[in-house]
Amino acid sequence: MRIVLEGVRLAFGRAVLFDGLTATFESGRTTAIVGANGAGKSTLLKLAGQFLEPDAGSIKAFDGDRELLHAELRRRTAALAPTMNLYDRLTATENLRFFAGLRDVTVDDLDGLFARVGLTAEDEKKLVVEYSTGMKQRLKFAIVLAVGADLWLLDEPGANLDEAGRSMMLKEIARAVGERKLVLLATNDPSEEAAADDLIRL
Amino acid sequence: MNGIKILTVLRKELTAGLRHRAASASMLMFALTALACMSLALGGSPLEPNVLAALLWIVIFFASTVGLDRIFEDEAASGTLTTLKVYADAQSILFGKMIYALISLSALSTFLLPTFIVLFDCPVAEPPVMLLTIVFGLIGLSGAGTLVAALSTAASVKSGLFSILLFPIVLPIFLPAINLTSAAMAGGEISLTMLIPMLLFDAILLVASSILFDYIWN
Repeated sequence: MRIVLEGVRLAFGRAVLFDGLTATFESGRTTAIVGANGAGKSTLLKLAGQFLEPDAGSIKAFDGDRELLHAELRRRTAALAPTMNLYDRLTATENLRFFAGLRDVTVDDLDGLFARVGLTAEDEKKLVVEYSTGMKQRLKFAIVLAVGADLWLLDEPGANLDEAGRSMMLKEIARAVGERKLVLLATNDPSEEAAADDLIRL
Repeated sequence: MNGIKILTVLRKELTAGLRHRAASASMLMFALTALACMSLALGGSPLEPNVLAALLWIVIFFASTVGLDRIFEDEAASGTLTTLKVYADAQSILFGKMIYALISLSALSTFLLPTFIVLFDCPVAEPPVMLLTIVFGLIGLSGAGTLVAALSTAASVKSGLFSILLFPIVLPIFLPAINLTSAAMAGGEISLTMLIPMLLFDAILLVASSILFDYIWN
């Protein structure tokens, strides 16, 4: 997969966030997007995933030479962001099965998946309302792993995670890149920045 | 559109809805209060079937606005709408939530209808016509309600918007529904073919919702 941004302009009212932004993101690489608060890191992720339309310029996704339709790209995208919440009244397993089910994915090895993100078999049965912020972040990441998407949009993925959690996240990102996934990271964490293949500083 | 994904959405709605019954409790409480007020105010005075039919549909309409406006608003308030937009396709969400709305309204009507008949000593000369009218009316109300709930959630000023938008959309369902309910109560010259306009409008509403929802969702 390849995502190409050409001459992208985006403004919110009088505030121009991007003007003439050109970038290419390729499968098998991690790109870290860094910058101060309000610089547009999360917005750039939304643009790359076509969750947001630019005011000018173009954003296209390709599989080889074939341009992907909006719906196709959406089906091949997974995301994790502070603004994305899970259902408090459902258990962790119900949340995971629900979001995986929306992508026609059946999770067979639930215990294995939860263990990969550092959650226990006991955590699987808990309602999400009982989860700590860090545990919710791990569960959101488990959903990203479960759906098997080709494009990962990770906004502050290490936020609220302990040292072991951040290390797990970086290991899984490296593994995904090895499987030719395209990973975009919006981050201000030096360890995530250091782990990326490419860097965009806003 | 994918039937399994629609069922996935419906199962989630039912599980979450059964664990947190605020929306269904609100609908039920509104219906109970409205029925009790009308019954006490009338004090057993007999009413014409057309008045009874209009009262029944007024209670159904306003009770549904109490619950249906939360279909997307709860998701937006809890931050799950953003997650849904990443993983779900528009049609699965629309029809999953629409079927859930229909189940909620059917459950409400299962309580409402017998209570209404008993409290107002309401005659039912043609029960099959009455039931089918209610079913077709609820299908239209669920379809329009789900679409309008999505529209009003996207608006910056929401207060009252749901009822204001919903009423003109469901009016073509409500007018024949009231007439048919009245006829089913009174009996006489009545045939099931009179339900066809309602059925057609339900079909138009579902197709239009399906087309419009893609624009709202994406």
